[in-house]
Amino acid sequence: MPHIKIKKGHDLKISGVPDKNIAYPSEHSTVAILPNDFRGVKPKLLVKEGDKLKIGSPLFYNKINPDVKWASPGCGKVKNIVYGPRRVIEKIEIDLDKDQDCIDYKAHTNEEISKLSGEQVLEEILKANLFTYFRQRPFNVIPNHKVPPRDIFISGLNTGPLSVDIEVVMAGQLENFQNGINAISKLTKGNVYLTTKKNSVLSSIENVKLNTISGPHPAGNVGIQIHHISHLRPGEIVWTINPQEVATLGKLLKTGRYDPFRVISVGGPSVKTPSYYKVRTGVPIKSLTYDNLKSDNVRIISGDVLTGRNASDQDSLSFYDYSLSVISNDIKREFIGMLNPGSSSSRYSLTPVFVSLSEKLFNFTSSQNGNHRAVVPMNSWERLLPMDILPNELYRSILAEDIEEMENLGIIECDDEDFALCSFACPSKTDVSGVIRQGLNLLQAEV
Amino acid sequence: MQWLLKYILKIKPNFEEGQKLHWLYPLYEATETILFSSDEKTKSAPHIRDSIDIKRVMILVVITLIPCYIFGAINVGYQNAIALGLERSLIGNLFFGAMTIIPIIAVTFIAGAFWEILFAIVRKHEISEGFLVTCALIPLTMPPSIPLWQLFIATSFGIVIGKEIFGGVGMNIFNPALTARCFIFFSYPSKISGDMVWLVGPDGYSGATALSIPATTKNSDAVTLLDNVSQFDYSWLNLASGWIPGSIGETNKFIIFAAAVILMAMKLISWRVILGGVSGLFAMAYVGNLIAPYSDNSMLSIPAHYHLVMGSFAFGLTFMATEPVTGSHTDTGRLFYGFFVGVLTVIIRSINPAYPEGVMLAILLMNAFASLIDYFVVKVNINRRMTRYAQ
Repeated sequence: MPHIKIKKGHDLKISGVPDKNIAYPSEHSTVAILPNDFRGVKPKLLVKEGDKLKIGSPLFYNKINPDVKWASPGCGKVKNIVYGPRRVIEKIEIDLDKDQDCIDYKAHTNEEISKLSGEQVLEEILKANLFTYFRQRPFNVIPNHKVPPRDIFISGLNTGPLSVDIEVVMAGQLENFQNGINAISKLTKGNVYLTTKKNSVLSSIENVKLNTISGPHPAGNVGIQIHHISHLRPGEIVWTINPQEVATLGKLLKTGRYDPFRVISVGGPSVKTPSYYKVRTGVPIKSLTYDNLKSDNVRIISGDVLTGRNASDQDSLSFYDYSLSVISNDIKREFIGMLNPGSSSSRYSLTPVFVSLSEKLFNFTSSQNGNHRAVVPMNSWERLLPMDILPNELYRSILAEDIEEMENLGIIECDDEDFALCSFACPSKTDVSGVIRQGLNLLQAEV
Repeated sequence: MQWLLKYILKIKPNFEEGQKLHWLYPLYEATETILFSSDEKTKSAPHIRDSIDIKRVMILVVITLIPCYIFGAINVGYQNAIALGLERSLIGNLFFGAMTIIPIIAVTFIAGAFWEILFAIVRKHEISEGFLVTCALIPLTMPPSIPLWQLFIATSFGIVIGKEIFGGVGMNIFNPALTARCFIFFSYPSKISGDMVWLVGPDGYSGATALSIPATTKNSDAVTLLDNVSQFDYSWLNLASGWIPGSIGETNKFIIFAAAVILMAMKLISWRVILGGVSGLFAMAYVGNLIAPYSDNSMLSIPAHYHLVMGSFAFGLTFMATEPVTGSHTDTGRLFYGFFVGVLTVIIRSINPAYPEGVMLAILLMNAFASLIDYFVVKVNINRRMTRYAQ
């Protein structure tokens, strides 16, 4: 089994590490899907307020690719549809019924699943409105199902701060996962690559190309794994999917029913009892933070602290997010702070410019720790990016909107999440990942 | 200090958009964020940030310069005492030196702050803490006998032409402190070309610098020439320990070495530039030594370890060449950039008859070529990627 050793990067020592016992959220009567979670999608509604839905009923479709629809994660009535400026659909909220009813699709035995053809698998997934679990590289968007991918990549480990341990989550799901792998392997002429840590529970999985990886974050990012296993070339497309959703697809084919539950982590310095939770897709954040926060002045993040979305407790967890992080908004202003020698509890830096001897977990806040300045290229980005990419030069070519240079510098292999640590460590407080996304958008508009 | 913070926040509204004092906002903002760490929050992902910021980076560089200032002050007093034939205590030397260099520092900071604030107000951007480092470096590169009006003009030139017209810190092409030094070098060559020693002494007292002695004598061995000087002690150890006349901050190489180690350990400067620079200096010095027997130029016979401690090479390499903005931006590029700084220093010192000291020009020249080096490094990276894509 090939092993990849990542050297550059950093595992953030952030406090509020979730307990691995899976808890359940406090009871909630609604779930919601936020169409803005899906990059580049033009949603067209298939439901209106008051419509009755089952689990799996289509909610809306993509105007650009009408075959791709979104499944309702709950059974009940459409409570309301929230529009933003220029009638952008922001939220579809569903009132949950007491009894949850599913749409029944065809159930298969394990043998039948492994005998399904590529067209049949795709048809089943599209029919169940679950194709949106797939995302493609480049651009990290929902792929066009008519263009088969070169390969499919699955990252079998999370290295992000306070993320869910895939080992714990997948331990009881191995059969579903194997079924899912058997099915999606038909969707590509190439390989299904699964990358795990050494001695993983997933190492018994067949029908995949297994790789192991070790090293600090972002080793668990699928983009980094693609770069090291079989990098993207111009014109190529690969698909990626989260391992929990591979199991969901496996379960769908086996039982004929969509299981909208997933395991997420709730953590961060401002969470009272950080833990894993089993929640329905689109779970309201309130049900996770209720009586669980240390103070009111907090920032709630759907996703992890490096890449997540600024959310509120009136909001829902985003479709592709498997963690909820809460950090304090309470920022202390120190007198002549720049002369402070620093201590383990007051400073956290990847550049050794502070005295900070112990390795204890740090209570991060939403402080930017300084003001934005012009970039001073001190190698703080390069030290954290485990790819053969020159981040500084790529950044400059994006600001100059020089698309040819961006492509030459390898932007198609990049995604903003891989550059999050660079933004974190930048002394000039430059939003590197935001600029990378800007470059990807520019390139996407061009092709 | 809460009362001060309260007061500062109380007067803040006067500087906001639409208020009479809004044009002074950059000055207010600088005062607020220097006195109290910023309370700015992240707007989007990543929601948490490293504790480092540019203020911390700049202030640490300034702190590592403080020993250079202290030694510089003592040495100014010491050289003055020698020139006058006086016996003076260490404290006495320090006091005399401080009295000499404090006006120099003051003039530099007044000129630097004036232009930085003026540009910040006119161009409506924040006052960048980068000028602290520039202004802290300029006095150290100056002879203690510099007339203050020349210093004022040079600092203004360095800050405005070296930095502000490009858009401020982070956008400049040439090191602003060296631009200031360069301005003086070419505008007032009688004062500063480096062939005569600089010290605060009686009128008419003069002597040759260590570098100008082999430069002006033909067909000799440089080390023998230096050993024969009676006016100053130009032995290797004394050149390194810095008890010689020179610019204020560059004479003691041990202090500079310690500063370089600290800055490299903090990852604020690149070890690649330092390694490249020292290797370039040694390589070119050896080449010079090989040619020396066939030439009447005594400079070629200076051994590499003498080059290292003569003139301002150590200071320039540690504090000027490693400046991240004006140097190469790629790691491979930094090695070459540093290497050529070292090579050019020796070439200008040995072969150019006009200037006995070459490190300033070498760094400025390499500042100009840094982007070219990066261009080739990027080309190599692109070619490697294209080969990979073609497979």
